[in-house]
Amino acid sequence: MVEKRTLIFLTLATLVWAISISNLAAYFYLQNTTYTKQIGENQQSLNKTASNYDELMSKYNILLSEYSVLYGSYSFPGANFTLLMGSLGRLIDNLKGNYSSLLTNQEDLNETYFMLKEDYQLVYPEGNVTGENFGGLLNEYYDLFNLLAIRELSLLLSETVTLTVNVCIDYGNGTIDWHNETRMPAGSSLFQLTQKIVEINYTYYPSMKPGHVLVDSINDKKAYTVGYSEGWSWIWYYWDGDEQDWNSGPVGCDAWMLKNGGICKWKFEHWSWP
Amino acid sequence: MKIHSSNTRKLALFNILVALCLAMQLTPRPPNVEFTSFFTFTVGVIFGVLYGSFFGCTIMFVNGFLSPYGFAGLIMPFQMVGMAIPGILGGVYRRLMPEQINSARFCTETAIVGAIIALIYDLVTNVGVVFYYVLSGTNIALAILTTIVCGVFFSIVHIFSNTAVFGILTLPSIKTLNNLVGGEKNG
Repeated sequence: MVEKRTLIFLTLATLVWAISISNLAAYFYLQNTTYTKQIGENQQSLNKTASNYDELMSKYNILLSEYSVLYGSYSFPGANFTLLMGSLGRLIDNLKGNYSSLLTNQEDLNETYFMLKEDYQLVYPEGNVTGENFGGLLNEYYDLFNLLAIRELSLLLSETVTLTVNVCIDYGNGTIDWHNETRMPAGSSLFQLTQKIVEINYTYYPSMKPGHVLVDSINDKKAYTVGYSEGWSWIWYYWDGDEQDWNSGPVGCDAWMLKNGGICKWKFEHWSWP
Repeated sequence: MKIHSSNTRKLALFNILVALCLAMQLTPRPPNVEFTSFFTFTVGVIFGVLYGSFFGCTIMFVNGFLSPYGFAGLIMPFQMVGMAIPGILGGVYRRLMPEQINSARFCTETAIVGAIIALIYDLVTNVGVVFYYVLSGTNIALAILTTIVCGVFFSIVHIFSNTAVFGILTLPSIKTLNNLVGGEKNG
């Protein structure tokens, strides 16, 4: 006959075992449920991305075909550029119609579109449109069209991909602010990131390429010049992992697309010329 | 087994055990592998329920401030209560201990008690964690779920390690400490 004490300890041991195993089972069940849900959501998101991608590409192909027809007419010897201006005008309006939300939400693109429209309005009333003028407008249109297509694709990607970047703001007086692990949607530019983390004032230069934005002030620290030959400006750098050094930004901050894990720096620094 | 007692030795031994246990508790070690519940249980067996629970509370109070994992904060009262329980169980176990003990059986029993103690301690501290989450604004169901999910592996490690520690160390420790406490009377 098993004595009472043994039974008590056996019961206690069973209790510990049962609770531990139940906890473990609950844990695995919860994990399994969570992962199944996540996989389902990811699949749904991928399907949505694929379908949106198809839509974007169809739109791109149609606009590209229209551009191609116009470019063919422009290249054709003896073309009447004044007559072609109407087609170009429709193409420009079509561009706005197809990328309206992007043009509304992204200031720099909107400014570029506005500049194109303005240039068009300047040339069109002249009556006698030259090949040079028309070619210039066509190039301007094509640049903007490609930029819009890239931005829209990036925006599509940003629905599923988020980037994590680190940014440093060096005020040039010993104050350095790090904004680590800042999350941005894929396809964001350094300009958009900077707008998100600090307060900036900027100037848009239509003739500057690539990138049209020059930052004038960050958190009220304003750039200034002393005469024409020297001054203090906000210059941006990116960290080169291979060289283990900061490299100065090769393009305007609105043209620099962020990459995951990238490190950028804004530095308020002195320059002089020559 | 007969438990001896002597006030002078008892007090000295109690203080030494507090110091020893604190040193071990504050030494960096794998998470949830601990000797404090074993010491508390042993103190409960040798000194009784009151000393045992006081011992556990004191250790966890100091640990709450000096732990290598940082300040315990809101969880500290729950840790103190959780660690008082081994002391109480030690005192209760002392009363139920037979005069003549079978080593293998004693080790098995204390191993099971160690597992129970780990389980109870984890449950009590998990209540503290849930309380903390709820105060931080988390929904109570989500708080319980998060605590279970995050704590289950640590709890399993705790149960296994306590089973081993109690099963292996309790018998020799109780014998040695009992001799020390009873030395004055016997010697």
